[in-house]
Amino acid sequence: MKHIKTIQQPCINASAHTGCGECQASCQSACKTSCTVANQKCQKESK
Amino acid sequence: MIHAFRFQNYYLALDVESGAVHSMDEQAYEVVRALEEGRPLESLPYPKEEVGEIVAELNSLHDAGAFEAEELVPPEGTGGQVIKAMCMHMAHDCNLRCKYCFADTGEFHGARMLMPEKVAYAALDFLIAHSGKRHNLEVDLFGGEPLMNWDVVKKTVAYGRELEKKHDKRINFTITTNCVALDDEKIDFINREMHNVVLSLDGRREIHDALRPTANGKGSFDLIAPRAQELVRRRGDKEHYVRGTFTNRNLDFTNDVKALREMGFEQISLEPVVLPDESPYAIRAEHVETVLAEYDKLASFLLSERKAGRWFNFFHFMVDLAGGPCLKKRVSGCGAGAEYVAVSPDGDIFPCHQFVGEAEWKMGSVLSGEFNTGMQQDFLSCNILTKPECRACWAKYFCSGGCAANAWKYNGDIRKPYRATCEFEKKRTECALGIFAAERES
Repeated sequence: MKHIKTIQQPCINASAHTGCGECQASCQSACKTSCTVANQKCQKESK
Repeated sequence: MIHAFRFQNYYLALDVESGAVHSMDEQAYEVVRALEEGRPLESLPYPKEEVGEIVAELNSLHDAGAFEAEELVPPEGTGGQVIKAMCMHMAHDCNLRCKYCFADTGEFHGARMLMPEKVAYAALDFLIAHSGKRHNLEVDLFGGEPLMNWDVVKKTVAYGRELEKKHDKRINFTITTNCVALDDEKIDFINREMHNVVLSLDGRREIHDALRPTANGKGSFDLIAPRAQELVRRRGDKEHYVRGTFTNRNLDFTNDVKALREMGFEQISLEPVVLPDESPYAIRAEHVETVLAEYDKLASFLLSERKAGRWFNFFHFMVDLAGGPCLKKRVSGCGAGAEYVAVSPDGDIFPCHQFVGEAEWKMGSVLSGEFNTGMQQDFLSCNILTKPECRACWAKYFCSGGCAANAWKYNGDIRKPYRATCEFEKKRTECALGIFAAERES
């Protein structure tokens, strides 16, 4: 493309095998006063 | 939904529902902005052919599911109302008297108290009993200051290890400490047993000492800094964060990140203080623009340091686009009151550490076993799909609805997000995506 470069392809996973809940609770990681979820790892991905 | 924004010299667009990110030239950016705002493309000062080219490119991205993608529906939950994470308040006491402490300098609006081992064991039993089929569980040993109850901390971990074997679970322990009581024995234990460590240190000596005095009113920086450095030196590459708080006294908090960098720390988190507007340290509406500009400054500092080979991580600028959480996680957020609870030293259960001591939010007791599943259901149903403001926000899959405690403290309703933190989260997300773009294209 001449004007637009995609630097990240679609990446939000909503497939049926997701939602296992094994990932970390986001507030436990470092903030304790706010909420950022997108920097959390998927437990399945990190295996 | 599309969010087009500028970061330094980059023109970027996030396709909210798919998570795709596009970098573009100025003309394409203006076309996307016009489409976002419903302005006619004829009003743009570009040749008609060029606008046509851009629209064709956008149509092609749309066909590929990467521009104006449809709203996704998360799969049904797989585990029901399970609890997988717990914040254990090992001590409602503290050896510091931080002036901005949300825990009322450790007491959480009650008496100073250490968690007895009986309560700690009952809390872990409660967690296991409510964890269903979840294998990975989390326990944060929190305070006040948990090192003031060190013997029970060690016993709690030992008991947790027994439970892991008995129930085929993995308990990832975290400890959040102000470092005052750290010594060699504690450092070695923490580095061996803790999956993550959060070390409280605010940055510049004068900022830290002004707001984090000891019980006798002296600065604590010189007590804390060398101990935190020693723990991190011995910890190697295991997970940890040096976590500071900024108030309206240090809205130039990039300088605190710089100070932490100069002390050798590479994993840094700095959080806006949570205080009512009447507090002398509160971050109020009139500070928001300054904070947003400071995040831009911090992003520039981070990029220049990394480019020069001096890598460090800032928690809120970290984003894992390709390997990040699934939609279900992004929708459900921090899990407070739903899959995450806090336990006070006397065994009472609250939705999270920020609610501890607030009588109306008591959910039950690990000693009696009572648990208010109705309140748990309220928290489960408080998510970005049920909060109209969140559902319409472009940053929803990055923040996942924000902090319920903040919402309640500022707006009296866990479903009404606190506007200032929304603005901070949006700016941090733009910075995170901008850093991603800049590092990818350099």
